[in-house]
Amino acid sequence: MSKVIVIDDEPFILMMIEDKLKKAKIDVITLRESRNAADVIRREKPDLVILDWMMPELSGIDLCRLLKKDPDMLNIPIFMLTAKGQDADEQLGLRCGVTRYITKPFSPKALLEMVQEVVGK
Amino acid sequence: MIDPEKDLSLTVQELTNAYEELSLLYRISEVFSFLSIDEICSRIANEAINSLGVKTAAVLFVDEKGERLFTKISIGNWDRDMEIVRDNGVIWKSIETRRPSAYCRLKETGYDDYLSQLTSLMVCPLVGKVKVIGALVIADKETGEEFFSNDSKLLSAISAQAGLAIENALLYKELESLLLGAIRSLVKALEASSCWTAGHTERVTEYSIGIGRHMGLGSEVIEKLKISALLHDIGKIATPKEILNKNGKLDEDEWIEIKRHPALGAEILVELKQFKEIILSIKYHHEHWDGKNGIFGLKGEEIPLMARILSVADAFDAMTSDRPYRQMKSREDAIIEIERCSGTQFDPEVVNAFLLWVRGFTQLHQVSGF
Repeated sequence: MSKVIVIDDEPFILMMIEDKLKKAKIDVITLRESRNAADVIRREKPDLVILDWMMPELSGIDLCRLLKKDPDMLNIPIFMLTAKGQDADEQLGLRCGVTRYITKPFSPKALLEMVQEVVGK
Repeated sequence: MIDPEKDLSLTVQELTNAYEELSLLYRISEVFSFLSIDEICSRIANEAINSLGVKTAAVLFVDEKGERLFTKISIGNWDRDMEIVRDNGVIWKSIETRRPSAYCRLKETGYDDYLSQLTSLMVCPLVGKVKVIGALVIADKETGEEFFSNDSKLLSAISAQAGLAIENALLYKELESLLLGAIRSLVKALEASSCWTAGHTERVTEYSIGIGRHMGLGSEVIEKLKISALLHDIGKIATPKEILNKNGKLDEDEWIEIKRHPALGAEILVELKQFKEIILSIKYHHEHWDGKNGIFGLKGEEIPLMARILSVADAFDAMTSDRPYRQMKSREDAIIEIERCSGTQFDPEVVNAFLLWVRGFTQLHQVSGF
């Protein structure tokens, strides 16, 4: 079973994605904080990380940079899920190695399809 | 017994549906304000296909008399030549009641003969603030399932946005033609006040369209080109009459004054937000391809294509008509001059199209004894 880690400080977003992915038989780990996320990712070796940009303490973009620096984790695809919809933000996200840049509000159905594209059905 | 686990899952499902709807509204309202009616309709149909997972979607418009429905745009299994005369059928019923309605097993229930190729159908009226525009119809889910109440909610959400957007676009179009009428009158007034430029606008429009067609431009671009040509000298409204009508050579100050007209034209039209490309082509219609001796110093493809076309058409007409500051050239001399300036003043590609057009044009008129 494919495994996805979702990190977002909004509990509703986490619930929604968890529900949607689990129904599609994808294993989901949700984190409400980004602080220890890197450790969890290193331990769990997920097939995909879905990441909010704006989070307290460690922002999604900084966490992304952190993951891309670590040889063990740099190959894990990252989806950035964010309310930051400006082109410049998206460019920055993509430069930091984000596989897909998705703006909120996003379509849960479309998100599931994008996840399945990466982790396989 | 209440099962909290199940309860929570249902709530999450409902929240997810609501969020799906929100994201949909966000997506469509964001783009609709910039689009033409056809583009809006095609977006709606695509959005319906993707969001609801159906095989078929069609946007239908009510005709002017309110008696028939015709297909504006359709995707999938839909006969777009079909006209639906006002009847008691499922589609008109939805429009009359102004409510979405779903029908399943059309074949078995024998609802409407003209929809016999479909199994299940959902119809939602497209209503603006003022009137009913038509209907959005979707049919047959990819999964083969029937429609759920959430589908009806999503379709209503799309239709509500679409109805308003289409109505706005229709109103805008009306406004645009009103405005164009007013601008044409202005152009006429401008030409009437200057004995030298009579008929210039009309000829430049004709030449520009001729060049545009020979470049293989699409009808939408040609339409914009036509408006740009009609308006290209509108800035001269602000140029003093004494300069426009001066009999003899212009001095340096007067040239500076004349050279302001492209920028002034752009300023006059600046409020027309959907004229953005047109305004830019007016502003830059005196630029030179090599970037030298133009007014703003733009170069090559920095100059909008329509401006490059206007530039050739404008120069050709200026050379072949009488102007106070110089003698009129013959058509042949003017053609040679334009060819000579290909690559310096003019875009070579535009000049090529111009040559093709002008030769065809000349031949045609020779044959008809012009």
